[in-house]
Amino acid sequence: MTLSTDELKKRISVLERKASREKRARNTAENQLEKYSLDIYNANLSLKKALASSTQKQLELEYLGRTSSDIASEIPFNEMIANMVMLTGSFCSASYGFYIISKNGKEMTTKPNKTWCLETGWQENNKFKQLINKNLPLIESTIVESWVVSDVENGQTEQNECFNSIFYTNFALTGDRIGWLAFLSKQKDFEKEILSVLMTSREHFLSGIRRRLTDVRILKRNVQLQDSLNKLKKARQQLIQSEKMASLGQLAAGVAHEINNPIAFIHSNMEVLKDYLVDYKVLNAEIKASFDKNTVLEATMYDEICKKIDLSYIEEDSGDLLQSNIEGLDRVKEIVDNLKCFTHAGDEVLVEMSLSECITSALKIAGNMFKYEHKVVNKVEDNCPLIQGNTGQLQQVFVNLFVNAAHAMESSGQLTIDCNITKEGVLIHVTDTGSGMDETTLKQLFTPFFTTKPVGTGTGLGLSVSYAILEAHGAKITVDSKLNFGTTFNILFPVVS
Amino acid sequence: MKGIVFVKFNEFIEELWGDEFWDTLLDEADLPSEGIYTTVETYEDEELFTLIGLVVEKKNISSKDAQFAFGKWVFKELYNAAPPGAHNFKDVFEFLHAVQDFIHVEVKKLNPDALLPEFKFLSESANTLSFHYESPRKLCYFCEGIVHGLAEHTEQKIEVSQSECEHEGDQRCVIEVVKI
Repeated sequence: MTLSTDELKKRISVLERKASREKRARNTAENQLEKYSLDIYNANLSLKKALASSTQKQLELEYLGRTSSDIASEIPFNEMIANMVMLTGSFCSASYGFYIISKNGKEMTTKPNKTWCLETGWQENNKFKQLINKNLPLIESTIVESWVVSDVENGQTEQNECFNSIFYTNFALTGDRIGWLAFLSKQKDFEKEILSVLMTSREHFLSGIRRRLTDVRILKRNVQLQDSLNKLKKARQQLIQSEKMASLGQLAAGVAHEINNPIAFIHSNMEVLKDYLVDYKVLNAEIKASFDKNTVLEATMYDEICKKIDLSYIEEDSGDLLQSNIEGLDRVKEIVDNLKCFTHAGDEVLVEMSLSECITSALKIAGNMFKYEHKVVNKVEDNCPLIQGNTGQLQQVFVNLFVNAAHAMESSGQLTIDCNITKEGVLIHVTDTGSGMDETTLKQLFTPFFTTKPVGTGTGLGLSVSYAILEAHGAKITVDSKLNFGTTFNILFPVVS
Repeated sequence: MKGIVFVKFNEFIEELWGDEFWDTLLDEADLPSEGIYTTVETYEDEELFTLIGLVVEKKNISSKDAQFAFGKWVFKELYNAAPPGAHNFKDVFEFLHAVQDFIHVEVKKLNPDALLPEFKFLSESANTLSFHYESPRKLCYFCEGIVHGLAEHTEQKIEVSQSECEHEGDQRCVIEVVKI
């Protein structure tokens, strides 16, 4: 195919334009390639920087994390400080680290006297102590606000090691003592970021120190409190016992009367028995005289003698008298046993127990407070549910309530003890038909040393002690009272489940 | 639009109608880039539309046919330039899924600024696949052409149609591919 000159020219110019476009396109592509290369180089550079920065951050975080966990842990105080020295020294690449305690500007000797070394860890080593002491302001005893970095004076040591800087911080300990963390470093300056990390760990470290010192104080206070609590517990037990003995004092006259009655009739019986013995002696003498005279005892004579002293009556009556004496002595024994049980200062353990038995025995102790004009009605039946309680203490509560009731009903009246089984537990009502109480008295009823009784009659502790005992039993006590009509104490005991 | 489309369009036109025709197109189009295209640059979409518009005018064909033909032709070119791992697909449907899930992901890694069409698959059976073609460039006919090019490559017989098309007044373009 042949082309004309014009066609050829046209063809050439088309190809020239094409070649020019291709060339320019190539230039553009090459420029773009260079730009990509530069971008990659810059990206690489910033990646390297980011890697270095993140490695440093990782080290910082690791340091902060490890110091934090040590500080927050329960490891002993000295171990925590030793770890802080080691971690801080490693983090800052310090050559040596020290923990020093000073008092009144002088270093205190601590055992074991160890130095931390970057290469070998903790070791018995005193070779740099002098250098440290010379460079630390121990004598000023000022607590610094942060880390202090300063140049080391005479940093060249005999061992040909050269230290350029020392950095330290300090903190107050108990007993006017100051703790110092100090490090010798070959570095001259520290980066701002490192110092900021050190500041953070220092704050955390100080709060850890404070917490541990507070913990020790709390522990001491706790021991004191426990001691006080034990003393208080003992005092409370003594108070309960004293109150019991005081209420026994009030019962004493009645108890004496109760014991006196049987003793009086036993005494009278014994007098009669003594006379009967005289009669027996007479009988015996006459029988003996008859033997001496006749060597035999005539039946008629024997009958005569017997009739004379009324032997059959003596025999019958002696039996009755002895039986009456035994019963009288049993009554005395029972009274003494009840008193013994009541006054016994037992432990405070709560066991399964019967309220009915407890109320009956309390009534026996306090019963003599009620006279012939009084009526005592105990409606608590033997099948009343068992409760968790301390018989001795609850007996004391009931005796106290009964004595109060007796005092409230001076001349006559009725004491009723009743029992209701409810969902919440066993509800005991102790009701008297006595003088009752006004609002003012009711308000202060359980206040220690409050009493309406004349001096010498009450301690003013009876109801407050009873209240404390019932509280310890998980029981609730309420009072309904109407002046001149009487009073009811309601006590709700939780039942054994 | 990425430069590779322009470079390939240049080759396509020159292969069909010669470099003089391409030279004429550039001369008349008076483009900002002056037709100096490299695969690494990005150029205005409008330049391609202007060039296609001139082809349509000069060769008296429809824009749809022009886009379709270029799409069908360009598949093998793009296939050769596709990232490693894009050459393991032997089925049209499988490949179309890979375009969305793999090839476009790889393209984005090299060209984070590339604006790529989205394929949202609507339904699929053994022989029919329907997907929503979503691109602000609205080059759905070009896409139809590419699918045909793909079928040629996989040696499968297919029919491609659009049940909905933005150029026909619909809200979106839905391309349906049926294996025959």
